[in-house]
Amino acid sequence: MATEYALRMGDGKRVFLTKEKIIEEIEAGTADAADLGEISTLSGDEIDKLAEILMMPGKAVSVEQGMEVPVTHDIGTLRIDGDQGNSGVGIPSSRLVGCMMHERAFGADTMELGHIDYSFKPVKPVIANECQAMEVCQQNMIIPLFYGAMPNMGLYYTPDGPFENPGDLMKAFKIQEARESMEHAAEHMTRDMVWIMQRLFASGTDGVNFDTTAAAGDGDFYGTLHAVEALRTQFPDMYIEVGMAGELVLGMHGELEYDGVGLAGLWPHQQAPLVAKAGANVFGPVVNTNTSKTSAWNLARAVTFIKAAVEVSTLPCHVDMGMGVGGIPMLETPPIDAVTRASKAMVEIAGVDGI
Amino acid sequence: MASKEELIQELSDAIISCKKDAVLAAVEKAKEVMEPAEIIEKGLAAGMNEVGVLFERGKLFLPHVMMAADAMGAGVAVLEADLPEGSESKKLGVIVNGTVEGDVHDIGKSIVSTMLQSAGFEVHDIGRDVPLRNFIEKAKEVKANMIGLSALMTTTLPGQKEIIALLKEEGMRENVKVMVGGAPATQAWAEKIGADCYAENASEAVAKAKELLL
Ligand code: B12
Repeated sequence: MATEYALRMGDGKRVFLTKEKIIEEIEAGTADAADLGEISTLSGDEIDKLAEILMMPGKAVSVEQGMEVPVTHDIGTLRIDGDQGNSGVGIPSSRLVGCMMHERAFGADTMELGHIDYSFKPVKPVIANECQAMEVCQQNMIIPLFYGAMPNMGLYYTPDGPFENPGDLMKAFKIQEARESMEHAAEHMTRDMVWIMQRLFASGTDGVNFDTTAAAGDGDFYGTLHAVEALRTQFPDMYIEVGMAGELVLGMHGELEYDGVGLAGLWPHQQAPLVAKAGANVFGPVVNTNTSKTSAWNLARAVTFIKAAVEVSTLPCHVDMGMGVGGIPMLETPPIDAVTRASKAMVEIAGVDGI
Repeated sequence: MASKEELIQELSDAIISCKKDAVLAAVEKAKEVMEPAEIIEKGLAAGMNEVGVLFERGKLFLPHVMMAADAMGAGVAVLEADLPEGSESKKLGVIVNGTVEGDVHDIGKSIVSTMLQSAGFEVHDIGRDVPLRNFIEKAKEVKANMIGLSALMTTTLPGQKEIIALLKEEGMRENVKVMVGGAPATQAWAEKIGADCYAENASEAVAKAKELLL
């Protein structure tokens, strides 16, 4: 019987596949990305290399020496203290302690301070608290420390915000009204994000991480790009990272443009140039994991998309690697065999600048 | 004169163009040679399916889906006027759709609701973070044929299983189909918890709902 290798399904389940089957899955995964994004598939050599990474005997694998990349953390502090469905481990610790642990014990190259709600809008009422936490962290740390949150434009729609929910309007065929609601929400979101970051920058943050950008579709992306542009104009030295919510910018509005480019339906390699144009320093592309497919299929697909983004991007690309993204299975604590294989493939095949 | 195949193509293309007048013109033309049911099923609905696929591929956007659905509705209305007495097309089925308790992710669930509605189902979208009991209450109230359950987190996924248990407890399981979805759900999960089907995306949800309810 042919040797079988232990891989994962996208939901984390163990599967055992032969080398032939692994190659078949990789070919199908890369073909899917190429078809959707109208980009090149991985070459024969890259497919072999990916298969080799997937079949390595060690439980954890690592990049070759000399190929190490910076590792950026988002709300890691919440993951130590918190336990609310986001893989928190529930160890009581302040955010300062969490940040310092990442710097001094976990080897993070940059770190981020975030609010428990992790969206910009709810930071407004507690801005003084956030500014103070930022100052204290900055006084105790050396590595660059950002402020991070999600644009999360959904919070501007009913029942959470002032503008009528475009989902409800759409269902009632009120398309124009739905579009106007999104435009208003985007404008308010931009204003809030700029206001919040003006204050945090005065309190010493090294930069900002717009995390899960475009979660609410093209309007969300539009509002975020405008916030980046405004912050770049006001603060030439602010370090700005834009990380995406998913691989595709969902077309909720359908007609919003930035720099003459329609935002709906953009794939990672089409998002990168706009993020650079707005004035960001780092781009965080995302590819979603399909829980019904194997890790070979998912990883090949993710690497294909990310490689195309890295090729066109003028900014460093720090790929988003976590539960359910970047070829990693969707589990609260993603299995280390899958995480390290996906990371190695992203660095050595897709050529990412950081994770 | 255009062949039947050409007319079907024209109907479907008109839906994909999302233009109501194009759809109405195509329907007028097709009416000469085709039965209303055939026009709807082979022409308009087939076009709507294609719209769903183009949406998943990022080639068409939500407003287009709605415009296409609106145009399809107008086309169907014209045909209904021509249907023999008492045979006017009825709703394909009644579906209660929502995101389970503890989970606020509703973008995907809302797209599924929209697409099901566009396809001709009567959809009651009860929102997100919905207490599990509410699914049962709503299903009773509207006499639902199917419940759609969305969960986007591994931590809220078990809510889908609990609702199936509640349906059994209430003696409703026989009469109500259960469709599960959301990124962490899989076919294997659906089988494990005894759901009737799993769908990966909105267009698949429409296809599966039709399979189960028609
Ligand atoms: C957008 C988003 C949010 C938004 C949600 C806004 C909203 N109104 O929905 C906000 C910012 C609020 C949010 C909050 C949180 N999120 Co969130 N979020 C996402 C994100 C980025 C995208 C989800 C999405 O909308 N996708 C687009 C839609 C179109 O796709 P979809 O939902 O999969 O739907 C499709 C299919 O699944 C299917 N489908 C969906 N529903 C149904 C139903 C039926 C019946 C059927 C048949 C099919 C079906 O059809 C849809 C259309 O094709 C994902 C990561 C990702 N990239 O997937 C994380 C993610 C789901 N979130 C996550 C987490 C942890 C959270 C938070 C707990 C974070 C926090 N600490 O605050 C909170 C949740 C709070 C709560 N109690 O629910 C995790 C879940 C991890 C896990 N354990 O499973 C993810 C995977 C991110 C991550 N890797 O950490 N999030």
